[in-house]
Amino acid sequence: MQLPPALAPALPAGEAGQHYYLPSRTAAPAAAPGWQRQQRRAYGWGLYPALIVLALVTLAPLLTLIVVSLTPLSLTDPAGTFHFRDPLGNYRQLLQDPRFVHSLWVQFQLSSVGVTLQLLTGLGIALLLHGRSPVLGAVRSLFLIPMVLPPIVVALIWKILYTPDISPLHQALEALGWPLRSLIANPDTALWAVVAADTWQWFPFTMLMVLAALQMIPDDPLEAARMDGANRWQLFRFIVFPHIRAVLLVCALFRLIDSFKAFPLLYVLTNGGPGTVTEVTNFYGFIQAFNFSFWGYGSAIALVMLAGVFALSALVSRLGRDGGDDAR
Amino acid sequence: MPLAHTPVTAADAAVHPSTLRQAQGSGRTDCVPAAPAGSRRALLRAGAALGAFGASALWGMPAIAQRAKPLQGTTLNVALFSTAYSKLLRPWIAEFEDSTGARVNFDTPGFPVYNQRTDLELSTKGSAYDVVNVTFIYSSRWINSGWLTPLDDFIANRNLTPADFDINDFLAGARAPETGADGKLYGVPWTAEVTLAAASRFDVLKSAGLAFPDTLDDFSRAVQTAHRKERAAGFVTDNHYGWTFPPFLQAFGGDVFRKAPHDLYPTLDTPEAIAAADYFARLLRDFGPDGAVSYTADQSLQSLKSGRSNLGIQGQIYLSQLADKASSKVASTTAWGAVPRGPAGRFPGSAVHGLGIPVGSKNAQAAWQFIAWATSKQITQRAVAAGYGSPTRRSDMQSPVFAERQRVNGYDIARLSSEAIDLAARQGHMKYRTVAVYPQIDQQINKAIELIVSGQKSAAAAMQQAQIGALAELKRSGIAV
Repeated sequence: MQLPPALAPALPAGEAGQHYYLPSRTAAPAAAPGWQRQQRRAYGWGLYPALIVLALVTLAPLLTLIVVSLTPLSLTDPAGTFHFRDPLGNYRQLLQDPRFVHSLWVQFQLSSVGVTLQLLTGLGIALLLHGRSPVLGAVRSLFLIPMVLPPIVVALIWKILYTPDISPLHQALEALGWPLRSLIANPDTALWAVVAADTWQWFPFTMLMVLAALQMIPDDPLEAARMDGANRWQLFRFIVFPHIRAVLLVCALFRLIDSFKAFPLLYVLTNGGPGTVTEVTNFYGFIQAFNFSFWGYGSAIALVMLAGVFALSALVSRLGRDGGDDAR
Repeated sequence: MPLAHTPVTAADAAVHPSTLRQAQGSGRTDCVPAAPAGSRRALLRAGAALGAFGASALWGMPAIAQRAKPLQGTTLNVALFSTAYSKLLRPWIAEFEDSTGARVNFDTPGFPVYNQRTDLELSTKGSAYDVVNVTFIYSSRWINSGWLTPLDDFIANRNLTPADFDINDFLAGARAPETGADGKLYGVPWTAEVTLAAASRFDVLKSAGLAFPDTLDDFSRAVQTAHRKERAAGFVTDNHYGWTFPPFLQAFGGDVFRKAPHDLYPTLDTPEAIAAADYFARLLRDFGPDGAVSYTADQSLQSLKSGRSNLGIQGQIYLSQLADKASSKVASTTAWGAVPRGPAGRFPGSAVHGLGIPVGSKNAQAAWQFIAWATSKQITQRAVAAGYGSPTRRSDMQSPVFAERQRVNGYDIARLSSEAIDLAARQGHMKYRTVAVYPQIDQQINKAIELIVSGQKSAAAAMQQAQIGALAELKRSGIAV
């Protein structure tokens, strides 16, 4: 039996024309499409278990979420509230719920400012730490610590820093004659205090990704530009930045999606307050679902968030593709 | 139950007089036969002594538990939040396991985590837990939704409950919130917390010629006087305002609902409620420590203990710790009293937590045995002896050891607490707190006070917003108001 032409070139010279025993084949070249069909089918069957597991662990909860969001399900009366008499009732309520609408605005501020700061800080520090010295290597490792700490530990560190009574930061500033009022109890600063803590925790992610990208930049164009008299800014603007742009977009995408899941910092530092100034959408959804047991309403909030994350991901991916085209 | 340390007494059956003599004389808790070894009489005596030891070791255990390892192979999943009682109980659980053969998984997360997790678990009627804490603000929701098992049959069953368990020894005011609309008991109370007032630097007030504040006017005068004296803020409290604000709200003549539990129309925007919110928020804004709005119960306590704040309103479990010389800088200067009286009277908050059995538990009988053990007189007495400050058994509250410890600097904290519990039971002013929708309203109150203290809204605007929010939450709950 001869091998199908598609496989023949892959074999060592001299073996392609030989006859091999292949159990599913009876005739050579003429039967090739059938063999390929069977092969594809076999691959398909092989994929089914994974697809079924994937469907169970991913799609089933998502479908449940969608179904529940169409009901007024409350756990205090699950039997009486699991019905579809007004399937869009939760979504209508969301539009009229000022706390939900406000949470979207808070989410926008937290995500946009937080991610931008993380990208800028991560990029700046990566540029400073890009080099081959062992000292730089050690400093790079130190900067990674916030990212690997459990989120609740990060929250506790910042809770101490932001509590005037026990905070070394507040005490040092007071000793210097610059007393600082509590940042998390002040509605004008609470959100930015959370953003600062979030930036501290997550700028190392961007730093790490950018450092990896910087190491992939070939030396030749940099040397050529230097010989042509390019200054540092021009090197960054015209050579380094185009190389790391795609990585920055990936970082932005990851951090943006993650910022929608911000929880431990808010839970520990401000509990969404004072009032609702730091109450982001998922925190509000959490309160509705888990403090009040309104699963239908909580699911509707979760779905709106999911739609927002998808839309943003698509947007950032498109920007990334456009960026890639530009770079080419 | 102190199984291994119960002394041999004359009441223990089949004890030979010589054995008893020796045990009494030595004061030891074990028994040594006196006859020469090897004789028939010695064997009989040894057998009798062993029987006596077994009987004494299982003193207080129900008949079913007195079979050898009656719960062998049973695993009990017990969930309670992290608290002084759970910390005391944890090392003693090995004794329950040794005597019954059961294995106990004892889970004690933080209070909010516990509540969220248990609320979810109970709502599914799952079997993950065998024993749960019946949290005060969830008690009506959990009990009246049919998520818990009634305990009356267990209590009445002498095979499962020792005669000396005596359910009536638990304060009536503590049992009431654990009782369902059907009159059945769903939780055995292990703590009864009440809100009290304390002045950590009462010496400062005294030197200014002030007595411990009794009325709202006295209280604001005292706070004003104490503020910034000896580097202390005038007032601090736990930022769970749904718990710390209602004593002020009710003292002003307001309430959370029109007439809980029958008429749940919220009354958060009445003139009395607005006046109370303004008064309370002013205490925190003008006389609280920097960042007071972010102070949790523990932070408030630390602030009082270190003398950084003077007056405080909090649960007695927290405030009684101000007397702990080992950790409190103000042990010798603290004074305690009832929450201030307003135009409508005095309304101390009270909260009771009990141990109950989820309706989905597959080990209800074993779970009850755990509850009967964990709330038995032997265990609660032992807890009180170890420093537990919030017993629910009248016998514990009246015990000399508890009474002695609760008398500090001439103040009787135990008396203040029991008076507050009795007052709450008599006036019924805590009914607002055990209705199923209270967690939602509690959240509205928290937010409203935060908005006022942080200067985002006036008292009137914040309370009106809370009222609108409360109505929306009630509507979402399907409650017609």
